Amino acid sequence: MDRRTFISRTGAAAAGLFAAPYILPSGRLFAATGSQLAEHVVLVMFAGGVRVQESVMQRYLADAQADDVEGNILYNMLNGTPPPQKIVYGTGLGGINPIQPILGQTLQQQGTLFREMRAVNAGHYGGLNSLLQGGTASTQGLQQKPLNPTIFEYLRRHAGLPATKTWFVGNGIGNSVPLLNYSIHPNYGARYGANFFAPNITFGPAGDQYLANARVYHPEDQLMPVYEMKAFLDNSFEHYGTVPTSIGNTPEEKQDIKAFMAEMFTRTQNGTIAHPPVHDSGDLTTVGYACEVMKWFKPALTVVNMDGVDGCHSSFTGYLASMHRADHAVGHLWDFIQNQVPEMANNTVIIAVPECGRNAEPNAILDQNDWYSFDHSDANALRVFGMMAGPSVPASLSVGGESNPVGIVTDVVPTIAEVLGVKNEVMGAGMLHPGTLSLFDRI
Amino acid sequence: MIRRSHARHITSSSLVLALLLGGCRKDVFMYEVDPVDLAQYDGNKDREKTNQEYAAILHANLFQTALSPGDLYKIDQCIQSIGDKQLAREVIISNFMNKPGVIIPTPEEMLADVDGFITATYNRFLVRNPTEAERTWFRNTIEADPNVTPELIYFSFALCEEYQFY
Repeated sequence: MDRRTFISRTGAAAAGLFAAPYILPSGRLFAATGSQLAEHVVLVMFAGGVRVQESVMQRYLADAQADDVEGNILYNMLNGTPPPQKIVYGTGLGGINPIQPILGQTLQQQGTLFREMRAVNAGHYGGLNSLLQGGTASTQGLQQKPLNPTIFEYLRRHAGLPATKTWFVGNGIGNSVPLLNYSIHPNYGARYGANFFAPNITFGPAGDQYLANARVYHPEDQLMPVYEMKAFLDNSFEHYGTVPTSIGNTPEEKQDIKAFMAEMFTRTQNGTIAHPPVHDSGDLTTVGYACEVMKWFKPALTVVNMDGVDGCHSSFTGYLASMHRADHAVGHLWDFIQNQVPEMANNTVIIAVPECGRNAEPNAILDQNDWYSFDHSDANALRVFGMMAGPSVPASLSVGGESNPVGIVTDVVPTIAEVLGVKNEVMGAGMLHPGTLSLFDRI
Repeated sequence: MIRRSHARHITSSSLVLALLLGGCRKDVFMYEVDPVDLAQYDGNKDREKTNQEYAAILHANLFQTALSPGDLYKIDQCIQSIGDKQLAREVIISNFMNKPGVIIPTPEEMLADVDGFITATYNRFLVRNPTEAERTWFRNTIEADPNVTPELIYFSFALCEEYQFY
């Protein structure tokens, strides 16, 4: 190589280094700008419309019914003594046996409680969207995928996470829940979406019939030719509309998910899923599978949805029982992370926030205890609490109160982003509800 | 004598009449068109199949029997319960392939008539004939890789984007 050639090639290479952005294997540009507070976040969408009166205010029957009995029914999440009488939320005939707490210290003791936050939507789907998009979702259709990016997409795009590091575990496929794993935003969308299971379906009777017992193909000798032929066929398909886009699991990730599914079918059959000690509801079995997802994939973000509490439309007794079980689920989840998943122990932040509250006044429906039921549509339905615990979260801290609301449910998105190191990117995207802040900035 | 003269007159008249009529007939031209294969690829599939439509057609393609509405409902639920739809379809296809009754040619049958197999597969799954380029690509793939069996080819067709549309 002569001198002139050497200089011209060296100059071109140097110019290229300056001009071309550094592209990570995940496709993201540049590295995340923020430092992480923890490597994992678990968000519990709690749990189908919870009134502050029976949860954080611990009023039990005193506000909602004509019985002056107060007490705490969220044994794992909140400090407080249980109701002294009229116990209906436990197990056994009439629910007279409360479920024993799992955690030695409540989450309130371990972390920070936001006593009075504001929801931005009194409906479930709007509320769930606000927790995941950080927006009001006011123009969101009920059977429409999110319009703005979800936290899954922010993380996958800006933190460069692979698909199997973001998981959404739903308690079912109703109420558009399966639509929430990615948005239709043109700059984000399916390619940055999260993996999703509704395990009670996937690993239930329907899944057992049509998903279990799948033929196992050799990943290189058999599946690679299949993918090559599929790629050829896809290239030949001149389609001008919307081609369904995959969420971007690599072939290796797909193999891993298939192996996980096979394991879950076996363990479901054997009765060895990591369910909570009491698992007599769909929410509780969902959390059992969420624990399995965390143990297998060690996701950066796991979102779990529960909605049993919404039975309050027609049964206040059922509402109390479901809320008590949702607390049991959260306790089990946190205990499992700390004791069964070493990679996530002491390295995970848990956040629990209801998607909405419920009304101040009851509807006309009486349940088996002659207690009135509650819908969710008024101003009281925008009153919720929130809590978080884990590394960098102040312990035993209570923020705000009934006369001093602090925090919006949309804060959950930048809070997760801050924990995982992409807060600036998420805030800078400009698609959050006005006034939204990280909960760390509310403290 | 009179009869003979009359007969000769009739004969000559008939001859003249035949010549006249024959001389007035126009030439007949027959126009035809070359056969056109209407099943050629036209890229006109623009409606995405629902989960139930996909499952129904897939089952019909693989088993040549129909699924009950109840089974279709369950498969729809299964697909909805998994976030990665392509992965869900892969698992369902793999499940079908493990069931008895799948109608797939043997590798020997495929190799005995590769072009015929390719055309039949395109017809079965994509309801069209392959282009020459497609036929050539698949022929080369089949002949080059002994791992490529009819089952895997069916798998790839059932998974491809064109199969998601009609």
